[in-house]
Amino acid sequence: MSAIAAKPGANAGSFQPIPSVIAIVIAIVLVAAAYFLGSSGILAGGAMFVLQTLCLIILGAALIAFGVHFVPVGGAPAAMGQAPGIATGVAMLATGAGLAGLFGGAWAAELGLGVALASGAIGGALMMAITCLMVNISYVFGMGIPAASGKVEKDPITGDLQAAYKSQGTEGHGLPFISYVGGVIGGLFGGLGGTLIYIELLNFYNAGLPALGFVGAADINMLSVGLAGIFAIGMFLVIAVLSAYNITGTIEGPHDPKFKRFPRAIVAAILASAVCGLVAMLVVALF
Amino acid sequence: MQEIIIGIGVTALAGALAAVAGAAEDTESNIGSQGDPNSQVQLAPQMGYTHRIYNKAVSGEPPAYTLWVTLACGVAWAFLMLGVNAILAIIFGTVLATFVQGVYATTAYLGRTASLSKFGQPVFIDVVKSVTTVTMAHAFVAIFATVTVCYLMMTVIGHPFALPLLGIVWGLALGAAGSATGNPYYGKERQYQNQKFGAGVPISASGNIVRYAEAGQRSSIDNGFFTAKFGGPASGLCFGLIVFFELWRTIIFEDYLAGWGAVIVGALVIIIFMIIDRYVEVWARKNYGPYAVEA
Repeated sequence: MSAIAAKPGANAGSFQPIPSVIAIVIAIVLVAAAYFLGSSGILAGGAMFVLQTLCLIILGAALIAFGVHFVPVGGAPAAMGQAPGIATGVAMLATGAGLAGLFGGAWAAELGLGVALASGAIGGALMMAITCLMVNISYVFGMGIPAASGKVEKDPITGDLQAAYKSQGTEGHGLPFISYVGGVIGGLFGGLGGTLIYIELLNFYNAGLPALGFVGAADINMLSVGLAGIFAIGMFLVIAVLSAYNITGTIEGPHDPKFKRFPRAIVAAILASAVCGLVAMLVVALF
Repeated sequence: MQEIIIGIGVTALAGALAAVAGAAEDTESNIGSQGDPNSQVQLAPQMGYTHRIYNKAVSGEPPAYTLWVTLACGVAWAFLMLGVNAILAIIFGTVLATFVQGVYATTAYLGRTASLSKFGQPVFIDVVKSVTTVTMAHAFVAIFATVTVCYLMMTVIGHPFALPLLGIVWGLALGAAGSATGNPYYGKERQYQNQKFGAGVPISASGNIVRYAEAGQRSSIDNGFFTAKFGGPASGLCFGLIVFFELWRTIIFEDYLAGWGAVIVGALVIIIFMIIDRYVEVWARKNYGPYAVEA
């Protein structure tokens, strides 16, 4: 069958069990490899510590992938008021929120895991709450356009009718309240996941760097923070871009039919984060 | 107490600098046509509408600003390590990043516009000469203000991230906030100024952007002049509020409830913004009314 004859849209977004099982099996093999490296002493901290670190990195990545699907992104059509959502790219907006969360989480890291994770989640949600508000202010007071969804008849939260508020020839515009709430939840999950990855890597590097021998005691924390920050940001981008591919362009938020595609992105995030997490941990391996 | 007062002062200063950065970022991206509305600038010649609008969107605003701010932060950090005065170090970093932005803008305009030659779109050398420097000037302001915010976070506030890492975080957030808030105003309100006010652009009008001004053809610099009246300040307010509340909630309330104070205050601020958003949404529905009779 030629590429033209194939119908890529027929099963776009549907969950595909066989590739998903293969992805999960590869991820399990990578986790097992990390366990082996920990038990053999190549990775510092012991087998269980290595296992816990990698598993929590994978959990953080899954949270990010799930969170990206909540963020209402309209891309170029939203910039012309032709579609609802925020007028920028999925990956970049989600990453912006996630990194703002990571900033807060890293700042609170010394106060304990619970505070750091909560602070990271709130940081991401706060960034999205302000951005989404300014988007609506821009539409309403700058352009005189009310918010309207193109995917649902009624806003699932407020019950507001949507169809009559869509201007002619468009699929809706602005951010109806459900999309606003979706944006905040997306920032919450993004900040939480990003901070979890950062803290796990920070603890791992703090345990692993002294064993390398060539890093002075005074520099260990600075180097750990730098390495954990770079890898956390890098992994955030990987997961956000994977999720953006799953969304394919635009999404209105949790009420959009595309939202149901999230399990596929989570599977992809599990595999990608297992690879990236293992590579990040091998930076301090004792070969 | 003194520490908290200094913290409040730095928070206010960082918020103000971020507001300047956001406004300059959005104006720069609109003059250079780098946001999502650039899809129409690229599409217009393909629909038979040749124009003199600048066209440098080879990447989105967030990654572009991540590159420039991080570059400036990295160079500034290197100079700081050499013992150079902080303001001078930040200026050195910003100047280098601005030159990179200029090279990026020039090559992007030439490349993107040349790719439209088969549709009859000329490459205007006078546009390169007149517009590139204006985008560079705005980029300088945006980058300088953001690097200064990062420097304040690293030194006075004591965030554990190094300056280049803060550059990645806040460069990306700057681009994300600026493009999210400013793009619709540039796209809907300026590129499609000939369409009805108070309604989205019909999909059938895609590509038919406004190409003529009061006298002659429209210049991209006029686009910056137009969007600086609303899109720019709105983007500045957005980025300024993000930086301000992120710092304010932590500096003032982190000492309460073993760190949970900052989390609770952050959650309260989110709820307040949510209520304001709902009010704005309802206000628009009541005052503007539906486009058609409600079913």
